[in-house]
Amino acid sequence: MTANEQWQQNSTDPLGLRELESIEPDFDGWDEIEAALDAHHQNRRNWRRAGGALAIAASLVLVVSITLLRQQDVAPVDIPVTGSATLAENSTSVTDEDNVKALIGLSQTMEEQLMKLRQSTGSMPADTAIYVAEIEDLIAQVDVELSVTPDSVDLWGQRVNLMLDLAQVYQQQWEIDYGRMAAL
Amino acid sequence: MDTELDEMTLARAKRGDIHACEQIYRKFQRPAFTVAVRICKCRELARDVTQEAFITAFKRIRQYRGDAPFWGWLRRVVVNHAISALRKLPKHDAVEMEDYMASSKGDVERINHGMDLEQALVQLGDEDRMVVWLHDVEGYKHREIAHLVGKTESYSKTRLNRARAKLRKLISDDDEAALAGTINA
Repeated sequence: MTANEQWQQNSTDPLGLRELESIEPDFDGWDEIEAALDAHHQNRRNWRRAGGALAIAASLVLVVSITLLRQQDVAPVDIPVTGSATLAENSTSVTDEDNVKALIGLSQTMEEQLMKLRQSTGSMPADTAIYVAEIEDLIAQVDVELSVTPDSVDLWGQRVNLMLDLAQVYQQQWEIDYGRMAAL
Repeated sequence: MDTELDEMTLARAKRGDIHACEQIYRKFQRPAFTVAVRICKCRELARDVTQEAFITAFKRIRQYRGDAPFWGWLRRVVVNHAISALRKLPKHDAVEMEDYMASSKGDVERINHGMDLEQALVQLGDEDRMVVWLHDVEGYKHREIAHLVGKTESYSKTRLNRARAKLRKLISDDDEAALAGTINA
């Protein structure tokens, strides 16, 4: 060690604390870390899957919405009361049924995703919890209306959209939790 | 202490390779635990801090850009966890822990009269010990310490001077006690 280095060490460590020996851990501890990392990676995989499913669901909602809008655009056109009109009406009715089926399937998928999201999300701030409760109330209202008109494309569409909103709230909350944890 | 980490292991750990993470853990567990014990004083708490720090580090390892030594980055994670753990401790717990450490050495009387540097360090208050260790051993600047503890630079300087003076006194008491013991014998 040069005189300069010696001086520097004396000025920053005058008591010689650096000379103290390092401390041997009396535990292994790797198993706990491995388990925590496994859980973390599993969680991330689940989120990626949930994100993928959400993206698919969102795309489907978009496709269904566009289809419905196109039908609404077509509806005002005067259709002559002929055999071909009956055919057109029938084909519209079949499309509605398909749309309802697709939306019911989407609604079930969203239910499953929301269940997973609820389990993965920790506690949330009061205002977020109130927002979640409001969306859930709206879904309950739609369900009541659906019990009267179970074939309403519009109602099923509303239900799916509300569930997408709910999923978005849970996902944002999870991102906040994750960001907070990562900032530690 | 060898604190270098090869590129290959780091790259594997960044890809989530659990074996690479274990290699890193085995290599840095001891220095990380040492820093945690020096700051927290209590081995049990230091153990938890070390574990949590490694978990955080592995979860965030992609954020390590490699422009500074890996140990410097990891040490920062450990120090942050240790300070956070100390802050969560209620005051009375800290006192109890100090008592525990004193009695664990077996001779409270001896500790009151004199001790070596290791034991003197344990006798310092949490912030004094943290500041003197971070500055004198880990090479932190006053600015960095001030930022960590949420105080000013002058607070850090005052703490450092006070901690060093206290350590000197504790060590000189030890020498005097040893000298008195020799004369009496």
